[in-house]
Amino acid sequence: MSPPDTNARAYPFTAIVGQEEMKLCLLLNVVDPRIGGVMIMGHRGTGKSTAVRALADVLPMIRRLAGDPFNRAPEDVPEHDPLLALTGIHSRAGKAEKIPVPVVDLPLGATEDRVCGTIDIEAALTQGVKRFQPGLLAQANRGFLYIDEVNLLEDHLVDVLLDVAASGWNVVEREGISVRHPARFVLVGSGNPEEGELRPQLLDRFGLHARIVTLTDLEQRMEIVRRRRAFDADPAAFHAQWLPKQRALQRRIVAAQKRLPSVVIPDDALMFAAELCMRLNVDGHRGELTLARAACALAALEGRSLVALNDVQRVAVPALRHRLRRDPLETTDAGDKVAQAASELLAQRNHHALQVPTAPAAFVV
Amino acid sequence: MMSTALPAPLSFAQLVGLDTARQALLLLAVNPLLSGVIVAARAGSGKSTLARAFAALLPDSTPFVELPLNVTEDRLLGGVDLEATLVAGRPILQPGLLARAHAGVLYVDNLNLLERATAAHVAEALSAGWVRVEREGLSTIYPAQFMLVGTYDPDEGDVPPGLLDRVGLIVPLAARTEAALRAEVVRRNLRPPQDEGETELLRGMIHAARERLRQVQIAEDQIAALMQAALALGVEGNRADLFAVHAALASAALEGRDAVDEDDLRLALRLVLIPRATQRPADSLPAAQPSPRSASNALDRDEGETSSKEPETPRELLLEAAQALLPPDLLELPFAAHQRGRRGSRGATLNMRRGRFVRAVPGDPRSGHVALLPTLTAAAPWQRLRRGSESSARVHIRRNDLRLKRYRDKAGTLYIFAVDASGSMAINRMREAKGAAIRLLQDAYVHRDQVALIAFRGQGAQVLLPPSQSVERAKRELDVLPTGGGTPLASALLTAWQLARQARERGVAHVALVLMTDGRANIGVRAVPSDRQQLREEIQQLAARLRADGVSAVVVDTQANYLSRNEGQQLAQWLGGRYVYLPNARAEHIARALGKSLAM
Repeated sequence: MSPPDTNARAYPFTAIVGQEEMKLCLLLNVVDPRIGGVMIMGHRGTGKSTAVRALADVLPMIRRLAGDPFNRAPEDVPEHDPLLALTGIHSRAGKAEKIPVPVVDLPLGATEDRVCGTIDIEAALTQGVKRFQPGLLAQANRGFLYIDEVNLLEDHLVDVLLDVAASGWNVVEREGISVRHPARFVLVGSGNPEEGELRPQLLDRFGLHARIVTLTDLEQRMEIVRRRRAFDADPAAFHAQWLPKQRALQRRIVAAQKRLPSVVIPDDALMFAAELCMRLNVDGHRGELTLARAACALAALEGRSLVALNDVQRVAVPALRHRLRRDPLETTDAGDKVAQAASELLAQRNHHALQVPTAPAAFVV
Repeated sequence: MMSTALPAPLSFAQLVGLDTARQALLLLAVNPLLSGVIVAARAGSGKSTLARAFAALLPDSTPFVELPLNVTEDRLLGGVDLEATLVAGRPILQPGLLARAHAGVLYVDNLNLLERATAAHVAEALSAGWVRVEREGLSTIYPAQFMLVGTYDPDEGDVPPGLLDRVGLIVPLAARTEAALRAEVVRRNLRPPQDEGETELLRGMIHAARERLRQVQIAEDQIAALMQAALALGVEGNRADLFAVHAALASAALEGRDAVDEDDLRLALRLVLIPRATQRPADSLPAAQPSPRSASNALDRDEGETSSKEPETPRELLLEAAQALLPPDLLELPFAAHQRGRRGSRGATLNMRRGRFVRAVPGDPRSGHVALLPTLTAAAPWQRLRRGSESSARVHIRRNDLRLKRYRDKAGTLYIFAVDASGSMAINRMREAKGAAIRLLQDAYVHRDQVALIAFRGQGAQVLLPPSQSVERAKRELDVLPTGGGTPLASALLTAWQLARQARERGVAHVALVLMTDGRANIGVRAVPSDRQQLREEIQQLAARLRADGVSAVVVDTQANYLSRNEGQQLAQWLGGRYVYLPNARAEHIARALGKSLAM
């Protein structure tokens, strides 16, 4: 009984039909992890987990110290590293290796010790030594951590994840083992709203919130069935067929990451973001910040170095829909409300723009 | 729990009265890509016999694993085998039931009574085809490609939609069995007739059909017809589309054909799409927009002149069949029922099983029951390290190792009592209402739940008691509750909704609203008091919101009979809750009614 190769089975990201909002949200987070992750909510069977698991294939490579279980870059690891000493892995004298950005799946039944890391059971049993066995949070460092059916996750695990996601550090203390290791990852969650209420604190922590619904276009649905049948019949051939598109997307992502530091967001776009948040009564500044970052990432992804108002508008719905105050007497969907506010505001500005020249000053995020 | 040689009292071919289920199981045997079959049937209709008889149709070594409802997570997913680990001196993993069902059948009776988390694990394994274990410091992956055969009695609640969605074939409740058929069932059970090799025959058929399956063709316009039907029926997600195609292919293979025909499409419609319907096809469908490919196909076939008389394209055929197959009440279908938010039964099911051990978590032994095996498992790896540091104890257990049993959904309920104190509540009825409320409060206290109290009169509602465990305070507040003025029902609902949301944020699992009112709302939140229509709409909207947020509700109607215009009943319906008429009911009646709907 050999374990199945989970990667070989992944459906290609570029072959996913429709669901553009979800795909864009994922890609924006790849370009700029500071956006703060994405929560994907929507109908069952619409390809939420397929998309996240497919993401791994188009992600760029990162450099890490060879064999480092925490995926650290060689320059971030001190010469006498206490972390490696604890894991019993010997430093390979600063050698580097390239690995794809990790996408780690957190299964529902995972226990806390496997998430955070614990004593190496085998070493303890057979040699009687205390060693630290890194957990999923270590594996996810500098990558993605994905939780399907996030609303079914145990509360105490959710608390752990939120703490670590906020601080970027995982701390384990147990019987003489004391570990503190970096755990910076993009948190991606998915779920179905019918399966259970999401704790509001949890939703707030995600930078973007994508919603997906069942496609109602006949031709698109037929295309899904055609591609899926082709994939099921011969996965290898299907992969080969989509390889050029996969590679092209990967190149685009790498280029966008390179371009991002030089992307400029002009004052009028920042003003637009702020006005939009004010109009929608969004508390705090997380809304504006996410809008700005996502807009920059979008511009970078499309090969532009200057953010346009239109970029802000395009990311407004996923960046803000979960930040509106809930009003039980409101019947419009939060996303529609954001979209409407954004287009009204844009129309207003365009009108003004005819008289007032925009300020030339620019701001780099 | 697990057995391969089953003493099936009746063979598959001998079972009567479950024809549709039999058909579905045959399709599954031919095409395992259909993932499984879920059969709705009343108790005692032979559903479990059917599942066992099905196993007998599969090749001899096919695993057949029965999933007990009370399965713990480590038994389900796999975990450390304590005994083997201690003997071997290194961690030994034991595969769980999902992994044992690999390449075979996983059978679940009473699928609707499965724990939500258990159902989620099964669903995840169904779509992934493997189980990932990240438990007790160990990490592994087991293959788990199995066919799910599940049965349930719809009277006892619904199957979690996440599970329904991942299973291809769903057999809704069959019409009441006729007397003759019932007699036949009994007769066969009493004296099974000779099988006469029927099982062998079916096995042969299945084998041949599996071989044929690879070459069966389905035309583009036939696929289009299935998708059109799915769209018209409001089927959610894309899995059903693919299942429908697979079902049609399997049906053709079973019939020994190389091309899908109309009967195959109809069967796919009946077993895959109809059970997933959430709406009726609109009477006036938009003009057909067949894909260019299907249009040309149709032309090739018809050659002009017959086309006007050739009555039906596959699309029309299926839509017509769909109309005929849909039950009069769509809520009889599992997905439609879920979409309308009729999900009270799930909460009740969970709470009935309140107190069942699901998993072990670290904790202070004073705050719960110690789970012995998990504690030993947690201590096992450390034994060698600890040896010598302590006395001659055989097993060294430290506080850190202690594991407590965690019970599902023990986390309490918040009961919000909203009491109408308006002028229209006559003084004596008010007294009854107070009495009932106090009794309920005491009940809630016994169960360590929280209570909150809202009074509404005059211009708005007021939180008299924020969520707390103090019944005494609630009683005091009720005793001095002033009455009189208008009935701001909408404001009460809004306040209750806000309390419910705050409670959710604090992690309260379940919120129940007990609303005592005569239902004669005359003050709105935003609505103009004189506009009855507006008042009504506002209340309806708020009630729908409470319902959508999963708040269970009971409306206790305090209105005198001769005055009633059924406002209370209407309100209960909007809230998706229960209705209790107070003037006829004593406090204990109400408590019982609440117990039923709120699982107190």
